[in-house]
Amino acid sequence: MRLYTVVVYLFLYAPIAIIALFSFNAGRHASQLQGFSTQWYARALKNPFVMDALETSLIVAFVSATLASVLGTLAAVGLQGIRGPARTVFDAIIYVAVMIPGIVIGIATLIALVTVFEVLNPWLAALWPEGAQPPRLSMGIGSLIAAHTMFTMALVIIIVRARLGTLEQALAEASADLYATPLGTFRQVTLPLIAPAILAGFLLSFTFSFDDFIIAFFVAGSETTLPIYVFSSIRRGVTPEINAIGTMVMVASLVLLIVAQLILRRGPRR
Amino acid sequence: MTRQERNWLLVAPAGAWFLVMLVLPLSVVLVFSFGERGPAGGYVPAFTLEQYANLPARLTAFKNTLILAPLGTLAALLIAYPLAYQLAVRTDPKWKTILLVLVIVPFWTSILIRSYAWIFILGGRGLPALLEAIGIEGVRLIYTPLAVTIGIVYGYLPLMVFPIYVALDRLDKRLLEASSDLGARPFRTFLQVTLPLSIPGVATGCLLVFILLMGEFLIPALLGGGKVFFVGNALVDLFLQSRNWAFGSAVAFTLIVIMLVTVTIYMRLIARLRLGRDDAQIM
Amino acid sequence: MEDNGHISKRKFMEELRRYQKGSVTRRHFLGVTGLGTATAVLGAAVPGLRPRPAFAQDIGDRVVLATWPNYHDTANFDAFTDATGAFVQVNVFGSNEEMLAKLQAGGSGWDVFVPTNYTITTYVGEDLIEPLDVSKLPNYDPAAFDPRFADAGTVDGTLYAVPKNWGTTGFAVNTAHDGGTPLATWKDFFDRTKTDFSGRTMVHDYQLTTIGNALKYFGYSFNSVDPAELADAEKLLIEVKPHLFAISSDYQPAMRSGDAWLTMCWTGDGKQMNSDMPEIAYVLGREGGEIWSDYYAIPKGAPHREAAYALINHMLDPAVNAREVLAHGYPVADANTNALLPAEILNDPILYPAQELLDALEFGAAATLTDPNRAELLARFKSA
Repeated sequence: MRLYTVVVYLFLYAPIAIIALFSFNAGRHASQLQGFSTQWYARALKNPFVMDALETSLIVAFVSATLASVLGTLAAVGLQGIRGPARTVFDAIIYVAVMIPGIVIGIATLIALVTVFEVLNPWLAALWPEGAQPPRLSMGIGSLIAAHTMFTMALVIIIVRARLGTLEQALAEASADLYATPLGTFRQVTLPLIAPAILAGFLLSFTFSFDDFIIAFFVAGSETTLPIYVFSSIRRGVTPEINAIGTMVMVASLVLLIVAQLILRRGPRR
Repeated sequence: MTRQERNWLLVAPAGAWFLVMLVLPLSVVLVFSFGERGPAGGYVPAFTLEQYANLPARLTAFKNTLILAPLGTLAALLIAYPLAYQLAVRTDPKWKTILLVLVIVPFWTSILIRSYAWIFILGGRGLPALLEAIGIEGVRLIYTPLAVTIGIVYGYLPLMVFPIYVALDRLDKRLLEASSDLGARPFRTFLQVTLPLSIPGVATGCLLVFILLMGEFLIPALLGGGKVFFVGNALVDLFLQSRNWAFGSAVAFTLIVIMLVTVTIYMRLIARLRLGRDDAQIM
Repeated sequence: MEDNGHISKRKFMEELRRYQKGSVTRRHFLGVTGLGTATAVLGAAVPGLRPRPAFAQDIGDRVVLATWPNYHDTANFDAFTDATGAFVQVNVFGSNEEMLAKLQAGGSGWDVFVPTNYTITTYVGEDLIEPLDVSKLPNYDPAAFDPRFADAGTVDGTLYAVPKNWGTTGFAVNTAHDGGTPLATWKDFFDRTKTDFSGRTMVHDYQLTTIGNALKYFGYSFNSVDPAELADAEKLLIEVKPHLFAISSDYQPAMRSGDAWLTMCWTGDGKQMNSDMPEIAYVLGREGGEIWSDYYAIPKGAPHREAAYALINHMLDPAVNAREVLAHGYPVADANTNALLPAEILNDPILYPAQELLDALEFGAAATLTDPNRAELLARFKSA
């Protein structure tokens, strides 16, 4: 049994070891080791495309995860009090949102937005005041954030709603009996209780968005996120630079997680 | 403002978002699926059932997907369950969190980079070379269905481990003790106590992995050498190679319908096993 | 900016004369003669003298290039960055179809792309490509190009694209595994895939070449869209599929590692592999096949147009272009570049195959790019 666990962890970490190993390769090729070097780390950090892609990925992940957490939580709370056909329709939409493969979301969003923009852009240009440069709607960071938010919001609603479902209605009623306003009840009773679920939803959303390749590939327009950068440069063979990027992202995430863990551990003792 | 109005106000932003970013795109796909391909690709408006009539041209892709998704899910389950069990039941609580985190850490490196690492490991200079060194010759791994399966299990393992771990972790240890106090053998305890209690986690994990596998295209493309063709690959080719948006839309819409049907049946089955309560929380 | 090392005295005088006549720019002159490097070194040594970007105007800090795998010398991009301050992002594609699809969907973000001869009329028809302003390409010397490989860049009298490289599509075979019987035809390619190369052959994930070469097996035109002929090609492809190692246009790693022994292959890949592993031979099927020419072009709505012109101009510089050829092994149609190349490259049978082999080759036809039947055939082949 213990041996089995070891084998599974080996399985999980073998590719990681290969990636880290080749990131220190002195040569350019990913199939032969040609000595030790850290030059690829320096190169990756100096490469403006890598840095830009990283920045875009972080912005997209942060904004979409924030939007998803806020709007998703509000919707989950609101849905508690809605019954009837409207509720059924909304539930169905959430169900569809999490179930549709990313590739379909990507393609559908692409063709829908491209079509809508084609209709809207001439109108915008016609309606825009004379002399000023009319805005042109196109695929880009906005469409990417919108698409990620759609999917992750559905996740947040599901997670938060599960948590709300386990809360005792009696608590909220007691609070109302004590003449607390609905907002007061929400802030002082409900919110603290569902906070862990919201946090979990945020982290899940962030991770999903940061790592997503398929949806971004279709809807990001000319924007390059980190996975897209990796994909488009990987076709000419993996360079140690790509391995260096992968290693750095992983180490950074690990450090963040350890820090978060330390903070959370300290929490209850306070 | 009445209670009801307030609720609606809370739901409105999310609702609007879903309308624009989900309902609208899916409607466009539906409309396009009745259209025609333009002379140089793209879409030309029309009303024809031609695209749907042409679906048998992708029958193999659908068939492959409907075989791969359940099998891949099963393979991931078989690998993940013992690990989740070990972590939840047999591991010192001190180490639990760390070991659990170690399951996810690899997944912070892009799946693309990790898949290329697998290409190296499974390629002629990787594992087969090692096997040759110990006398097993002629093993070919890369660009085989086995390579795709390995890639899939690898890619989706945490999604399977986590829900099962959570279900097992919630399990009251006293139940296990009681069972063994009553003289049950460990294996019997597992079958009669542990396994049934972990079913909700198993159901969730399987659902997540199954959904993702239905749309998978990267792992087959990278580790299957282009020889294994799924609906996801068909979609990518239709939109990125032949630029046939109309037919691509018909394939996409058919995939959605198939998923809705299979997942609904699956959830009904789970509910019938009267394990629906936890499961209902996932969806 | 360029550092082309040695330059003969005669060449230097020639360049000096061209510069004085005004037929080349100062930058070109400095570049080719290596004086550019000298000036830059001097400039850097004297504080305050060094111009920030050694370039006439600010072209921004980046330029995005959509191109093919193994098709550039990265040192040339570094030189471009040093000279202009603009970094080159390289996006690599697998097929002309994929490039077209990205551009059709809009917002590709590319500044320069590398279409193949037969696709340019489609780009023009779809209004996806920018007419080129020759005044911004001082290094472009139309008279120096072999028209056979430059003509497709001009559509209806307008210049849309300038030649990059040309080449052929043949196959690469690891001769260590051919059992002493060399392969010489597409018939050999497919027949031997079913026998002694079973499980070791790769074909492109690309309709033009995979279908085209299967058509050549029967002696049909590489560009055929005739349903009966395509049906024959499909039957052949589906027959060999169980014997294929992979369907992928990224065949170098597998060939180099020894996992694959036989693959459809482009000139430069053949040259690159042959240089490192002499047992890998590059063969043109005797029945014929593809000859092609790639071009540099600017898509409509390129976000960094000035940088795009600067990059194309940089790549057209004969000294830069010559270094490209040395790195990737694709011939150029530019006499100025060839003048800088060593004789062994110019006589290399991989780059410049025998005339009777070349005569049998065909340029790709625009119809194959948009023909839905060829696209569907490839899909059926892949899913079979």
